[in-house]
Amino acid sequence: MRVFVTVGSTKFDSLVQAVLSPEVIGSLRNKQYTELVIQCGNSESGSETNIQAGTETRFTTDGVNIVLWRFKPSLNDEFTTADLIISHAGSGTILDVLRTGKPLIVVPNPTLLDNHQEELASVLYGQGYLQYSTATNLAQTITAFDGRKLTKFPPFDGAAFRAVVDQEMGFS
Amino acid sequence: MNHVIWTMLMGLTLVLTLAAFRLYWTIIRKGPTSQRQRSSEEKCHLAVFLGSGGHTSEALMLLSALDFRRYTPRTYIVSEGDFLSTEKAMTLESLKAAESLPSDIRREGNDYRILVIPRARRVHQSLFTTPYTSLRCLLMCVYHVTISPVTTSTPSFSPFSDVLILNGPGTCFVLCLAICLNRFLGLSSPKMIYVESFARVKSLSLSGKLLRPLVDRFIVQWPQLESKGEYRGWLV
Repeated sequence: MRVFVTVGSTKFDSLVQAVLSPEVIGSLRNKQYTELVIQCGNSESGSETNIQAGTETRFTTDGVNIVLWRFKPSLNDEFTTADLIISHAGSGTILDVLRTGKPLIVVPNPTLLDNHQEELASVLYGQGYLQYSTATNLAQTITAFDGRKLTKFPPFDGAAFRAVVDQEMGFS
Repeated sequence: MNHVIWTMLMGLTLVLTLAAFRLYWTIIRKGPTSQRQRSSEEKCHLAVFLGSGGHTSEALMLLSALDFRRYTPRTYIVSEGDFLSTEKAMTLESLKAAESLPSDIRREGNDYRILVIPRARRVHQSLFTTPYTSLRCLLMCVYHVTISPVTTSTPSFSPFSDVLILNGPGTCFVLCLAICLNRFLGLSSPKMIYVESFARVKSLSLSGKLLRPLVDRFIVQWPQLESKGEYRGWLV
């Protein structure tokens, strides 16, 4: 099974470090995850992240095959081929992942100044749509996590917005 | 001499008072509201500001809900250098074109346009140079919203648009000011609909706070913000 980790358009060193730690890799392997793909953005977490833009690094740790790269134009293929996604708290990523129906663990970036992102992650966690974790607790979260217990996220429904615009423009 | 100054002062006071009334009446009260009914076959020119990143994704998702045969032509406003938003807008256009019935006769290229405006403030830009870049942005917006519709030779994009969808960030406030100028001058202006980001659960964004008193419809996506705007469930 495959895990996909995404940090978004900026850097999130502590998440990349946590994911590459022996504890997290061990917890993933115990859950039968053998493929780990990491979109690390501009994060710098030691020798593993010495990657040129547009290239990737591959190595194996503790029986888990790891692939690291910085950016790709679209992550949708990564979401659909993964069995678990661990992501930063960006609303666009959260929305895209939940719409694919894949289980999601969100780790908010505490170094972001305007941390309203955490609000969205925690309210969606409260409604049971995703799991919420810190970088330091990630291994325990993965061990205790059961994606089947998450609530199914509703599909996109454009009717409400269509009604607002049609009404405002005098249609109907 | 005294008499002349007195008359000039009186005149100035009168003009300023009238301007203040006009400002209040057209921008804040938005009266008289022209809630005109349209027949179901009528077309409506739609404009949308794509604020890059998550703003663009949400705006295009909102647009995907609309009937493009009704909302035509369409104007996408993007910031200078934001090629990704342009690309995403073109992807939505081709998706919508593929959706419509084969019997539909499409005039490729005439259905939409992409306007590029300078950024009001780039990320990490120094506060000292912000007034200059914002002014440059405002002038360009006024050109597109106020001047170009009068001088343009393509009638399908005149006036600027009938409705404008906004969802942040900062640059969209400058665009909104250009629309307000049209209203102040009594020129045609689009209805403005602002949709606060899905990411805003408990508090409004800065652009949301700035635009709330100026737009015709202000919509939030979480019940926690219902006191600040219209709540109709999640829109994206």
